[in-house]
Amino acid sequence: MLEIDGIELRYGAVKAVRDVSLKVHKGELVTLLGANGAGKSSTLKSIAGVLKPVRGTIRLNGEDISSLSPEQLVRRGVAMVPETRDVFPDLTVDENLQLGAFSRRWNTRAVEATRQQMFELFPLLAERVKQPAGTLSGGQQQQLVIARAMMSNPSLLLLDEPSLGLAPVIVDKIFEMIVALRQSGVTILLVEQNATKAMKISDRNYVLSLGRVAAEGTAAEIAERSDLKSIYLGS
Amino acid sequence: MNNSKLITLAAVITPVVLLALASTALGFPVFERIATLLLINMILVLGLQVFMGNSGILSFAHIAFMGIGAYTSSLFTIPLQMRGMVLPDLYLVVKPILLSPYISIAIGALFAMLIAALVAYPLMRLSDAAAVITSFALLVVMHTIMVNWSEVTNGPRTLFGVPKATTVYLAACGAILAAIFALWFKESRTGLLLRAVRDDEVAAGAMGANLSLLRWRGFVLSALMAGFAGGLWAHFITSFQPTAFYLKETFVILGMLVIGGSATVSGAVLGTFLVTFAFETLRATENALNSSSVFPLQMVGLTEIVLAVAMIVVLVLRPSGIIGAEEFGAIVQKWRRRG
Amino acid sequence: MGIYIQFLIDVLSLGSLYALMALGLVIVYGILKLVNFAYGELIMVAGYTLFLLGGSPFPWLAMAVVAVLMAVLTGIATEYVAFRPVRSKSVTAVLITSFAFSTLLQNSALLFISPRARTVPLPSVFSDTVMIGGAIIPLRNILTIVAAALLLTVFSFIMKKTVLGLAMRAAATKFTMARMLGIPANLIITSAFAISGLLAGVVSLFWLGRIGSVVPGIGLEPLLVAFIATVIGGMRSLQGAVLGGFLLSLIVTTLNYSLPPELLKFRDAFTFSLVILILLWRPDGLIKGPATGQRT
Repeated sequence: MLEIDGIELRYGAVKAVRDVSLKVHKGELVTLLGANGAGKSSTLKSIAGVLKPVRGTIRLNGEDISSLSPEQLVRRGVAMVPETRDVFPDLTVDENLQLGAFSRRWNTRAVEATRQQMFELFPLLAERVKQPAGTLSGGQQQQLVIARAMMSNPSLLLLDEPSLGLAPVIVDKIFEMIVALRQSGVTILLVEQNATKAMKISDRNYVLSLGRVAAEGTAAEIAERSDLKSIYLGS
Repeated sequence: MNNSKLITLAAVITPVVLLALASTALGFPVFERIATLLLINMILVLGLQVFMGNSGILSFAHIAFMGIGAYTSSLFTIPLQMRGMVLPDLYLVVKPILLSPYISIAIGALFAMLIAALVAYPLMRLSDAAAVITSFALLVVMHTIMVNWSEVTNGPRTLFGVPKATTVYLAACGAILAAIFALWFKESRTGLLLRAVRDDEVAAGAMGANLSLLRWRGFVLSALMAGFAGGLWAHFITSFQPTAFYLKETFVILGMLVIGGSATVSGAVLGTFLVTFAFETLRATENALNSSSVFPLQMVGLTEIVLAVAMIVVLVLRPSGIIGAEEFGAIVQKWRRRG
Repeated sequence: MGIYIQFLIDVLSLGSLYALMALGLVIVYGILKLVNFAYGELIMVAGYTLFLLGGSPFPWLAMAVVAVLMAVLTGIATEYVAFRPVRSKSVTAVLITSFAFSTLLQNSALLFISPRARTVPLPSVFSDTVMIGGAIIPLRNILTIVAAALLLTVFSFIMKKTVLGLAMRAAATKFTMARMLGIPANLIITSAFAISGLLAGVVSLFWLGRIGSVVPGIGLEPLLVAFIATVIGGMRSLQGAVLGGFLLSLIVTTLNYSLPPELLKFRDAFTFSLVILILLWRPDGLIKGPATGQRT
C-alpha cells in the first residue's frame, strides 16, 4: 500500500534522512523505531506532505505522492498525528473532532457514525464533549488527536510517538486503542521510542539509525540482533 | 580586523570617495547635488541597517530622528538677524545662541540619540510585530510634534535660512564614518548576539530581558546616525518642511536597504547607489514626459510606483536582497578560494 | 446631561469603527502572523469607488455595496500580490511588500485620479440629526453603532458556529495541523482577507461619512488606528482587537473633550504616549490570546 524508495530529507543544510526505503502492506501495523534524531518523525512528515523529499519517491497504492500537499493527502486517505499532538486548545473536544472530519463534512451521516464509533472507543472523550481541548490531560489529548485523525476515515494512519510524555499505564491504554483501530481495518505506521511496547503490537518493524534503515523484520527477528541494542534506546 | 573585513571596508569606501571626486571633477552642479544627497541617504540607510539588519526588526521611526537632528541643528545656526523672521516665537533662551554648523550638527545628532534612548526602552520590550507597529506610531507622533510645535519648527511651513555648510566632501566623510560605525557594531558583541538570535524565536525567548537592552543599543546608535544625517541634510538643503520626514522618505530609504540587502553593510551601500540612480533616471524621465506632454496625464507618482514594484519583485526573487548574508569581503574571499 | 450622552455616543460610534478596523487586521494577523500594511488603502479604494460612481443613477445603497465589494476584492488582491509570493520567506519581507503595495495603490490613485480631495456621494440620512436627552446627535453616529453591533454579531456567529470559522480559528493556533486534517490553507487565508476587506469596506462607508471626501492618503489614519487598537488589545485575540478599538476611542474622545485648545493639536501625540505607557505595563496587550501557534 505504501512504498518509500530511497528518500533523502533535509532541513536546510541538515540531512535528517539519508536513505530510507520501506513498505507497509494493507492492514499491517508497522513500527519505525530508533533513537532520537534517527529520522523517524521526518519520515512520517514526508509521507504526510509536510516535508518534501530531496530525492526518492513515496508511493501510495501505486501513485507517487511525494509532491502532494497535506490537504491532498487527507483526501487520499492519509491521516497524520504529529508528536506535538496539536489539539486546537481553545476549541472544544467536539469542535476538534468536527474539524477532523472537514474533508468529508458533507457526508453528515457517515461522519456521525464515525463520531459514535470514536466515542465507543474513547469513552473519556464522550464525557468531555464540550470541554476546551487545551484543558485536557496529556493522555486525554492523545486520545483526542487519534480520534480526530480517524474522523476523516483514513485508510493509512500515521502516529508519531503517541506515548511521549505519558505515564506507562496510560501508554498501555493508548496502545490497546491502537490495536482496536487496527482491527477495524486501518493500516497503521507507528513511530515509537518505546520499542518494547511497540513491538508487542506490531506486525513488522523497521529500525532507523542516523537517517538510514539499520534493520527490519518481525519482533522476534529484531530481538535476535544483539547489535541493535546499541543503536536504539528501548525500555 | 581580519582581511575580509578590510576588503569590505575598502569596497564600501572606494565608491564613496570616487563619487565625491567625480562629482566635483565633472563640474556640473547637478551631479554634485545628487552625489551629496546620495551620501546623506547612505548615512540614513546605514543607520537603518545598524538596527534592522542586526535585530531583524523593522523600524518606521528612523526618519523621525533625522528630523530631530535637522531641526535641532538648525536652531543654532540660522543667522541671528533672520531668526525673528523664520522662527518668530522661538524661546528666548535659544534665540541668541549661534554656533558653528559642525558643532550644531553634532548637537543635533546627540539630541536625536537622547530622544531615542528615552523613547526606545518601552519599544524594545515588545514582540516583533508590535514593535514595528509601535515604531510606526512613533513616527506619527514625532511628525505631529514637528508639524505643531511652531515655536521651534515653524510648524507645517518651511523652515528657511539654514546656512549651507555641507559639501560633498563633508557628506562623503560622514558616509565613511557611518560605514565604519555600522561595520563595527555588526561585529561587536552586541551585534553578534543580536544576529545570533535574530531569526530564532526560541533562542530570543531564552535571552529574556537582555535582548531588550541589546536591541536598545542598536536603536540608539541608529538614531545617532539618522540625526547626523538630518543635520547634514538641513545644512545642505537650507530650507525644509516636516513632510520631509514622513512616509514617502521612509519608503525610499527602506527600499534602498531592502533591495541592497538588509543583513549587510555592503547591501546598504549598494542599495543606496542603485536606488538613487534608478530614482534620478525615473524622475528625469517623468519630467521629460510631463514637459513634452507625450501622455495626457501628468506623470506624478510614477517613480514611486516603479520603486514599489521593484521592491516587491526583489523580495519575491531574492528575499534577503541583492547582497544576501555575506559582506562583500567574504564574497570576494570565496571567489579567491574557488579560483 | 446632554454632554454625557454626546460623549457616550461619540465614544461608542468612534469605537465601533475602530473596533471593526482592528478586527479586520487581527483576522489576518492571527492566522498568518503577518501585518497587512496595505489595509488602510481598502478605505481609499472604497472611497474612490463611491466617487467614480457618484454621477450614476443608482441608489446610494447600491453604490455602497459596490464600494464594499471593491474593498473585498482589493483585500484578496493584496493576498495574491503582497503575501502569497513571500509568505514563507520572512516576516519583514511581507511587511515591506505590503508597504510597497500600499504605496503602489496610493500613487495609482494619485496618478490616475487626482492628488486633490474628491467629494463622495453620501445618503441624506448621514446629515440628519436626532435629539436625545437634550443633546443633538448626528444620526450617522447611531447608525454606525447599529451597523457595528450587527456586523460583530454576524462575525461572532461565523467564528463560533460555522465550519469556516472553526477552521479559521484552528488555523490561527496551529496552521500546519489544520492542513493535516485536510483544511485547505489557501481557502482559509483568502477567506481571512475577504472578511478583512468586508470589515474595512463597511468602516469606510461611515468613515467617509464623517469626512465627506477622499484623498490618496485617507488610509493612513484608519491603518494607524487598527495598528494601535490591535497592539493594546493584544495581537492574538479577536476580542482583544474589539476591546482595543473601544479603549482607543475612549482615550481619543476624552482627550478631545478635555484638552485645552492650545494643546488640542498635539492630541495624537498624547494618545500615542498613553498607548506607549499601556504597552510598558502590558507588552503583550491587554488580552492574551490562545497559545502561540507556529507561523505558516
